[in-house]
Parts: sequence; structure tokens; C-alpha cells
Amino acid sequence: MLALERLKERFGPAVLHTASAHGNEMATVERARSKEILAFLRDDAETAFDFLSDLTAVDYVAYPPAGREPRFEVVYQLYSTSKQHRLRVKVGVPEDHAEVASVTELWPGAGWLEREVWDLYGIKFAGHPDLRRILMYDEFVGHPLRKDYPKEKRQPLVRRST
Amino acid sequence: MTAAPAPTPQTVTLKIDGRTVTVPKGTNVLEAARQLGIDISYFCYHPGLSAPAVCRQCLVEIKGQPKLAPSCYTPVADNMEVFTANEKVLLARRQMLEFTLVNHPVDCPICDKAGECTLQKLYFDWDSKASRVDVPKVRKPKVVDVGPNIVLDQERCILCTRCIRVCDEVAHSSQLTMALRGDREVLTTAPGQKLDNPYSLNTVDVCPVGALTAKDFRFTMRAWELSMVPSICTGCATGCNDEIQFAAGRIYRLYPRHNPQVNQYWMCDEGRFTYHEIHEGRMGAPTVAGAGAPWEQALGAAAHKLLAPLTHDRARVGVVLSAQASNEDNFALARLAFDGLGLERAYVGGRPPRPERADKILRHADVNPNAAGALAVGRGQLKPMAELSADLERGALRALLILGEELSLTAAGAQAAARLDALVVLACHENELVRAAHVALPLAAWAEIDGTMVNAKHMVQRLRAALPPAGDARPGWHIVSLLGGKLGFNLSWTEPRAVFREMVDKVPLLRDAQWGRTHVPIQLRFAGSRG
Amino acid sequence: MESSSKPLRRVVLGQPVPADLDDEPLPTEPMTINMGPSHPATHGTVRIVLLVDGEFVQDADVQVGFLHRCFEKESEHATYTQVFPYTDRLNYVSPMLNNVGYALAVEKLLGIDQQIPERAQYIRVIVGEMSRITDHLTCNGASAMELGAFTPFLYLMKAREWLYELLEEVSGARLTHSYVRIGGVAADLTAGFADKLRAILLKLREAVRDADALLTKNKIFRLRMDDVGTIDGKTAIAWGWTGPCLRSTGVAYDVRKDHPYLTYDRFDFEVPVGSRGDNFDRYAVRMEEIQQSAKILEQALDQIPAGPILLDDPQIVLPPKREVYNTIEGMINHFKLIIDGIRVPPGEIYSYTEGGNGELGFYIVSDGTGRPYKCRVRPPCFTIVQTLPVLIKGRQIADIVPTFGMLNMIGGECDR
Repeated sequence: MLALERLKERFGPAVLHTASAHGNEMATVERARSKEILAFLRDDAETAFDFLSDLTAVDYVAYPPAGREPRFEVVYQLYSTSKQHRLRVKVGVPEDHAEVASVTELWPGAGWLEREVWDLYGIKFAGHPDLRRILMYDEFVGHPLRKDYPKEKRQPLVRRST
Repeated sequence: MTAAPAPTPQTVTLKIDGRTVTVPKGTNVLEAARQLGIDISYFCYHPGLSAPAVCRQCLVEIKGQPKLAPSCYTPVADNMEVFTANEKVLLARRQMLEFTLVNHPVDCPICDKAGECTLQKLYFDWDSKASRVDVPKVRKPKVVDVGPNIVLDQERCILCTRCIRVCDEVAHSSQLTMALRGDREVLTTAPGQKLDNPYSLNTVDVCPVGALTAKDFRFTMRAWELSMVPSICTGCATGCNDEIQFAAGRIYRLYPRHNPQVNQYWMCDEGRFTYHEIHEGRMGAPTVAGAGAPWEQALGAAAHKLLAPLTHDRARVGVVLSAQASNEDNFALARLAFDGLGLERAYVGGRPPRPERADKILRHADVNPNAAGALAVGRGQLKPMAELSADLERGALRALLILGEELSLTAAGAQAAARLDALVVLACHENELVRAAHVALPLAAWAEIDGTMVNAKHMVQRLRAALPPAGDARPGWHIVSLLGGKLGFNLSWTEPRAVFREMVDKVPLLRDAQWGRTHVPIQLRFAGSRG
Repeated sequence: MESSSKPLRRVVLGQPVPADLDDEPLPTEPMTINMGPSHPATHGTVRIVLLVDGEFVQDADVQVGFLHRCFEKESEHATYTQVFPYTDRLNYVSPMLNNVGYALAVEKLLGIDQQIPERAQYIRVIVGEMSRITDHLTCNGASAMELGAFTPFLYLMKAREWLYELLEEVSGARLTHSYVRIGGVAADLTAGFADKLRAILLKLREAVRDADALLTKNKIFRLRMDDVGTIDGKTAIAWGWTGPCLRSTGVAYDVRKDHPYLTYDRFDFEVPVGSRGDNFDRYAVRMEEIQQSAKILEQALDQIPAGPILLDDPQIVLPPKREVYNTIEGMINHFKLIIDGIRVPPGEIYSYTEGGNGELGFYIVSDGTGRPYKCRVRPPCFTIVQTLPVLIKGRQIADIVPTFGMLNMIGGECDR
């Protein structure tokens, strides 16, 4: 609870939505300020989220009944090894401008996680030093975890001539 | 969420499960509860039919009434207080389900309805307890041929009478009835009748169990394996809203989709069977002079054939739009013909009308889904088929570029078409015209494209792709833009939506049309157990 | 190694001695070398593109994904129950831990996590800790083998096989158990399970002691492990390390201790930590964790109560087959659970447990249907493996083998 309150007190309207369910606390924050907010959460003595436990995205285009806007959410699972508390920070990302600020400067461990989100969801991370595909091969066309990428779709591995 | 309407003399305000709701006078309690998102279980009720309250599954408690009341049959009243889920109601609900299941056969593994069965859904949601009744089940005939399209299993029937009401109230032909009494009661055809009205398959849709099954669908595919995209029927100009239900690259059925302005909850049998044409007699690859050819070669050949008449005899080159094709395909071709090639002779093709099929329910005499759309994008210059036949017969044409293979030409007109200097056809299916063409290009059919069509009421509706194009086929707008490139007219669309955007800017009838949201196919098994 | 002494003179007999032999070492130029994806000295399908200057690693690009099986995409199209076999194939040397982690996440979302029968919770702890032991045995054994120590590998693999055999007896499968169910476990422990496990633990401790003695007192092993691949706790946390690798740096983060789940708060066990964060610490932490897991197992066997192994809820747990085949009620229940899946209320959860490699998280988003709308697994070794370049830069090529081995990359988990 504490971290959420601290966040709301510090950033007010940039915290768009907060919730608490199943023992998880979560906050949806403004995309333009996501990096600044995450940096605060890491450095503030009371929140002290030194550990980025996970970073992923969700594609809400097919969420019943009629999909959600913005289409994507980038999800950060934060943990504080000193305070032993957790927070889930979510950032809405629209389809036509699928980009958020990279947090590799805050947590170097975000490097591969962001590459994975780029690879599978096609969300760009501005400021990432090496945003390449990671699980799929370079020649793969599309982003397979998007809901409109059919599961049955097959792509032959065709090596581009270099 | 829209704000609740303010109370007026035409509305009624009541309390359901402690929550207040205001609804129009005459609404039943079940629908009022639905507005609050409260789900009351029912078998016999259907929002598109009258309510006989025979299944007793929707009983609710109304304050001040000694007995539980059927919510589907009880109109709302001011200051009414309804309880839909208190102990008494839940007990009644469970006990009704227990009764209903006493004589129900253990058929799920072989039943076509399994997976979309209301009985399964309600039992699982509300009861899911073992039965306390242990008596042999009453046996009844299991394969009763009630009509050309439908088989009845009397054992599975739970006597809800929805199908009887569909025949009476939707098709206006009373062909079904109940016979005998008690646990021997069965659904049967009325004496001397067959279930053969043109809307008979709606009885299969409304059947809450697997008693009525469609011959066309039964034992071909398990319902839960299907995926669905919302689209429209292309059988006639009504444009009934439907769901294309498909699996593994094949369509298995078309299913009506609720639209109060077009088709309510219904669809005609003929429209349901239109999916067969998607998989039959399709053109596999482009042909040049009757022989298969790669796309690039075929497009080159088409351009080459058209080029001479275009340069020397432009006035005798014609283009044919199609009332069978989407607005996007027609618009693309109109752009190429009028703006790119400067043609003057333009026609609109399609299937000939069938006045005998028209009724005042859904079936329309015009069996083309998009005549209005084709005319709208044709800039008022499209001439009917009769004139095309006449023009062909008197030799007024030297070359034709045709969208869609379905032209209702006279015999002499068809012969003349085969003798043209250049005949290029964009076709879904093979037929005489395609075989006579110098170049034929395979066209993606309605279940394979994203696009729009305009129905007889001038409503713009969306087609959605369920399948990839058959064989080597491509969408019409794409073929037109490729052909345009060969003929020196650049049409740089990369997706149907781009054509649509340009079209709504330029075609007055379509000005307010919306493309609608991205739709990911829904697997029916995960569609919230539709039942 | 001593590097201050003069390089040996290499003279080919019969040839004149070159004048510049004692001069400056030969100039080298950076060279790109490809290691993997199927390299005999890495137990994991991974490709490392190295930029080397002689024997020294200047830069490395670690490329994973060779074992990508679309875990998430497949899970989004499968019922919640059908996901279990996919979780088996994540960290395939400790499948039970994945089973348990996934089940806990779904149960929290269903709101039944507090109602799971106690016996089922103990069984989950028991099979989970057995899996943790097999995980660590594999990692340490295989890494030792890659450094040439084949005997300890055989000792540890033999011990692993005892546990696999017992797990097979319980679940029916040696490796891909799919044993845990939402609401409990698939089957009760077999007759005589406790005695068998106790006997195995006795033999296991002996085998581990022998293997450990062969390794910790072996000079080659120590030279290649000690002070190689060092990292400090703060850096490790920033890179997202958890599990034995993080604990080797002295950070005592263990989900079982810090956020106890199942019945872990009822056991007396230690969280071993290292001090230098090098390869040997990671090896030693794993060896000690095997002992601690054995301790937990013995306590769990003493405490486990009798009782049901599955929740009694017809909307979650399958009915008995007798009812399925003979009554319409049982048939419908079975049918709905198999075809539609267990319907989970809309919501989202991040649930985490201590996997073989560290914090094994499941982030599940439900839309109210019978299949996960999103089913993300946080693979502990994914974030750890990405740190490999940091650990090997400036070191020799030969150091890659023990360092990579001690990070315990499991392709199934890393690539999903």
C-alpha cells in the first residue's frame, strides 16, 4: 500500500489508475513519464524497488467484449529486496505509436526483456542500446504474440542473402 | 455505460437484487435484469420470440408474491422488488435442472450441440451436483427425419417449444407441434407437414439442446473446434449479419448474428448454404489462353492484350463492375477504368433477380449482395446487363475487363464476348466466360477478404476474412492495382482499408461509413460458453 | 597462472633460431569466433559469438531462442489445465517446481489458494523439493563433467535417477510429470513412498558427499572455478539475478523464506549464501541447497497429514470416471471442464515461487474464459544468462565453460 501512496503523492495525475487484487498492487502510469516514474520508484528510499523482476506486455485487442484501448500494456514487475514489497507498474501503449522509454539505464537486466517484448509484440523501446529480435530469428516477419497473429500461421525460414 | 434513462410515464423503475433499474414499460423482468448484467437462466425464452414460460428455469422471487414467478413472462412494474439469486430461487433453479436431466440421454460425446449446449451450460453454472433420481430413462426415437435439412432426436428434446415458435412467428408456417403428455411428450411435425420452410434451420440455432440438428452440419465438425469472425451473408441484397464459423481453412457453417435493423436473430436456409461455393469450383491460378500461368506473366499478358484496343479504339473498350464484389474491389476497378484508362463504357454484372424467392421476412428478389454499392462507386455510368448483351451482339465492343464471372448475358451476347479481341476476367469460380477469356485472374471470394458491401436498405456493412484466399487467388482491389501498374496507372494501396479510406472520401453514399475494429477470430470454446 | 616469467623459447630442431623470438609477443588481431549453438562443452543450446584477442574474450553476443516453442502463444490457445504439460517443458530438470508455480498462480486467481487440502500442499512441497535436488544435481554434475570430472557427474546422475524413479512412480512419467492439478495433485503418493524417499535421501547424501569431496579438493576444478565469473550482489540484482546464482553473491533472497507459500513456513531450513559471487560459490550454494532440501523433505514426510489430495469443487475438479460414463450430470461436468476449461474470473496475477534457478514467476491475465488471455512465465535463467558477457569479458575462452555452466541455462526455460 505504501508504495502506491508514495507514487500517487509524488506523481498525482500521471498515475492513471491504481488497483489491488489477489495480494498484488498495481499502478497504471502515463506513458510519457514512465521512465521518470520507474526511476523514482527505484531510487526513492521508501519504495526502493531495486529489482526489476519481470517486464512483459499484453495485447488487449481481443479482450472481451470489444477489445481495450490503448491496445498494448507494457508491464513491469518490481520488487524491493530491502523492503520486500512488490508493485506492478503498467504503461498503456497505443497501436499506431507502439513505443515506450527503455529502462535499460535503470536496470541493465531489462535489456533482454525489452528485446523479447519488441520481438514478440513489436513494441519499441526508445533508448535501448541493442533492440534486436531475441527468441525469433531475424528474418521472421511479424510479431507472434500479437493477438492478430494466427497461431496456425507458418513461416519458412528463408535466409536473407547478406 | 450509458446513463440510466430518467423516469418518464413510459418507463418503469424497479429493484432487482437490491439494485435500481429503469426500463421501458412492458419489458419483462428477465430483460430488465440483463440490463444490470444479472444473468437469469432460461431455456424456453428467446428475445426474438413470444414467451410461453414453459421451462420454469427463469423463476425469480418477487416481493409480495407467494410463489416464484417466471421472469420471462412477468412484465416489470413500478416499485417491484425482485430477487434473482436468493436461496429459494437458486434451489428452484437447481431442482428444475435436476428434473430436466432425469430423462436426458448421456449423449454429449456424440451430440452435435455439445460445447454450445444451453443445458450443459446451465447445469454446469448453476447445479453441477449429482442427481438424486435413479430410475431408468424414458427412451424415444433418436433419428426422426423431419424435413430436408433437419434431423430430430426426440430423446434429447427438453420440450421448450422454441422451434415451434420460430416456425409460427418467424417463418409464418406452422409445421411443428407437441404430441402426447407427461414424460412421453415429444416434439413432432404437424400432421401431414414436413419441416421445410425457408427458415427451418433457425430451429436448430434456437434449440437449447441437440434435439434438432442440421443435416448440413451434423457429424462434420465439433462445435467447439470452430472459430468465428463476424461478417455478412452474401446470398441476397438483405445482407443478413452472420458469423462465419470455420476450422482449419474450411467453413463449416454460417450462423445468424443479431442485428435489429437487418435480420433480427434469423437467417434463411439458402443463405446459410452459400458457404459451399467458397470451397467448390474455385479458380486455382491465373490462366492465359486457358493454360495456367504465374501471376506476373498473366498480368503482363492481360495488359498486353488490352493495350492495343486501348490505344487505337478506346471507345470500344468496356469495363464490368460486379454486384457480387465488395465496394473496395468495385471502387478500385472504377478508379482504373475511369481515371486511369478513360473508359466510357461501363456495366454492372451480377446474378439475375429471382422474384419467386422474395418474401416479406428476409429473402430479397435481388440475389446480389452489393448492387447498391457497385452502383454507388460506378459514378452513375453503369449500364445493366441487357445493354451489355446488346452492345456485344452489335459489335460495339472490342475488349472487356470484367470483375466477377457471373454475368447474365444472352446466348448471343456470350458468344460475342468469346470473340472479343481482349477478354480479361477477374473470377472466383470457373465457368464458360472464364474459359473463353484470354486472361483469367483468380479472385478472393467474400469469406477471404476484408471489405464492405451495401445492402438493399443502403446500409454499409463489413465483410471480414475468415480464410486465406483459395489457391493463388488475390483480393480484387489488389489485382486491379497490379494491373493498373502494368497499364501505367499507379494505384498504390497496400491494404483494403486504404482503398476504403479513399472511397469514403470520394463516394457520397459511403461518406459516413466506418471500417470497424480489428477482429481477431474467436474460438467458440472460449467464447464464454455461449450455450 | 604465473604470467611474469619469460615465455619459453620454442625452437624447431635443425632450423636457425629466429632473431626476434625473445622480442615482443606476436601482434594479434581481434577475431570473431562462433561457439555453439551445439557446443560439446555447453549443456544448453546457445550460440555465443565471441570477439577474441588471442585467448582473451573482448566481447560476446549471447544468442538464445533455439528452443523457443511458443509457450505463451500455445498457452493462450489451451485451457488452464492443458498448460501443465507445457510447464513441464520449461525447466525440464525440475518440472514439478514449474507445475507447482503455475498451479499456485491460477489458484490465486480463482481465489481457492487457501482451500487447497493440506495433504496436497505437502505433496507439492515434497515433489517440488525432490525436483530442486534433481535440478542442482544436474547443474553441478554436468558442469563438473565439462571441466573433465566425469566421476562426480556419474555419482550425481545416479542419485538423480533414484529421485526420477520415485517421481515416475508417483506421476507416471520420468521427466514430464504433469502431476499437479488446479485444486491439488493428480494422484496420491504411492504406498511405501515415505520409506523409499527416506532411503533415497540417505544414499543421496552419501553420493553428494563423495562427489563434493572429489571436486572441492581437486586443484584443477578449484582453479577453474575460484574467482572466475565473479559478480557482486548489487550488480547481480540490477541484472535481475535470483536463486542460487544471486545467493552466491551473499544476497539471501529465497522466495520460500521471504514470502513463504504452501507449507514452507513450517519447516526448519537454512538459506545458504556465498561470499564472493564466483563460480565456486554458485557450485557450493547448490551443493548446500541439496542438503537443505533433503532436510525439508524429511520434515515434510514427518508432518504430512492424511486427507484428500484434491479440492472438492465440481466446477474445478473432474468428476470420477464412473459418474462420467454413467450419468448425464457427471458427463456434463467432465465435458465442460475438458472442453471449456476451468473458468477463471477476469483479473490478473503475478505469482512467484522459488524455482530451481530462482524466482519463477507466472503473470496470468484472465478474461473470464477457460484459457489464459496471457500466460507469461518469468524464466529465472533468462535474465541470468544475459549477464554472461559481463562475466567473461577480459577472461580466457576456457573460462566460458565453467561460468556458463554455473549460470545453469536451461534452454526450455530460457527460450520457452
